Amino acid sequence: MVERPQILALVLTAVQALNEERPADEQLALSDDTFLFGEGAELDSLSLVSVIVDIETAVTDQFGEPISLTDDRAMNRAVSPFTHVAALVDYITELLSEKA
Amino acid sequence: MTNYASKIVLVTGSRRGVGRQIAEHFLAGGATVLGMARGEAGITHGQYHHIQVDLADAQAIITAFMTVRKLVPRVDIVINNAAVLTSQYAMIMPPAAAQAMVNINLLAPFLVSREAAKLMRKTKWGRLINIGSMAVSLEPVGDSVYAACKAGLSTLANVMAKEFGSFNVTCNTLAITAIDSDMLSQLPRDKIETIIAALPIPRFALVDDILNVIDFFASERSGYITAQTVFLGGVN
Repeated sequence: MVERPQILALVLTAVQALNEERPADEQLALSDDTFLFGEGAELDSLSLVSVIVDIETAVTDQFGEPISLTDDRAMNRAVSPFTHVAALVDYITELLSEKA
Repeated sequence: MTNYASKIVLVTGSRRGVGRQIAEHFLAGGATVLGMARGEAGITHGQYHHIQVDLADAQAIITAFMTVRKLVPRVDIVINNAAVLTSQYAMIMPPAAAQAMVNINLLAPFLVSREAAKLMRKTKWGRLINIGSMAVSLEPVGDSVYAACKAGLSTLANVMAKEFGSFNVTCNTLAITAIDSDMLSQLPRDKIETIIAALPIPRFALVDDILNVIDFFASERSGYITAQTVFLGGVN
C-alpha cells in the first residue's frame, strides 16, 4: 500500500535538493501547495528536470519499481501533474497504486 | 600508467574484446570498475563488479542502474563500448539484426549515458566516452545500419555535451579503426585488409592507440574538451 505522506516526503526531499543549489532569495517553500512549473511558478525547465530526475530515482530505489513521470500520460492530462507539489504527489501515488 | 585510484568507471561490453581491455586498463590504474555485459563476468578482480544485463533491453538497463546505485555512490567515467555488427547488403539484411544494432549500438549508449548523467549531476563531474567507428567515415558496403548507428553515437554525444555541460560532464567519441577482435572475425579478412591498406597509417589499431585517447578524454585536464570525435589512424 502506497501512503501519500511517504510520496510527499520524497517530493519535498527533491525540492529541498534543488533549494540547496538556488540562492537564498529563490528558495521554494517545502509544502503541499508550492507551485512548481507553469504560471505563477519559479522553476525553469532545467530545474524541473532536476526535480523530476531526483523523484524518479528515489521512487525507483525505494519501491523497487521504475517509474517515468514524463510519458504521454502525464503530458496528456487535463491538469499537468507538474503545476504544484500536491498535484505531483497525487500523480505519483496514482502511478504506484496501479503497479501495486 | 594513468592514476584512476579515486575513480568509478562503468564499461559496457566488458566481458571480452576491446571492452575487457579497457576495463582492465582502468583496474590497473586503481579504479573501481563496473562492467556491464550480457554474459557472466570475464574479469576477476577485487575492484571489479559485474552487472549482467541485456543491453538490447531498455528496461533492463534502467533496472541495472538500480544495482549500480546500490553498489557505488557515484559514477565518474562511462565507456559506451558494447556493440554488435552484422555486415550485410541492405536488401538482404535481416530486420532483427538491424534492430539489434540500433538497440545495442545506439539506444543502449543513450540510456546508459542518461542514467549515468543523473548520478554525475550530483557530483558535478563526469566523462562520457563513446566508442565509435571508422565506418562512419569510410561507409563500407554492408555496414549501412552499423555505420548509421555509429554516426548517431557522435551526434548523441554532441547534443548531450550541451545538456550536461553545465554540470561539468564532457561527452566525446573515439572512432576506432579495425582491431583484431571477435567482432572483426565476423568479416571477410580480405575486405578488412583492403580497408586497412587505404588508411593514412595502414595498420590495425593497437589497444594502446585506443587507451591513449580514452586517457585523454578521461583526464582531469580535459574538462574543456567536449562534443568531439577523434578518428584513429588518420581517418577523417
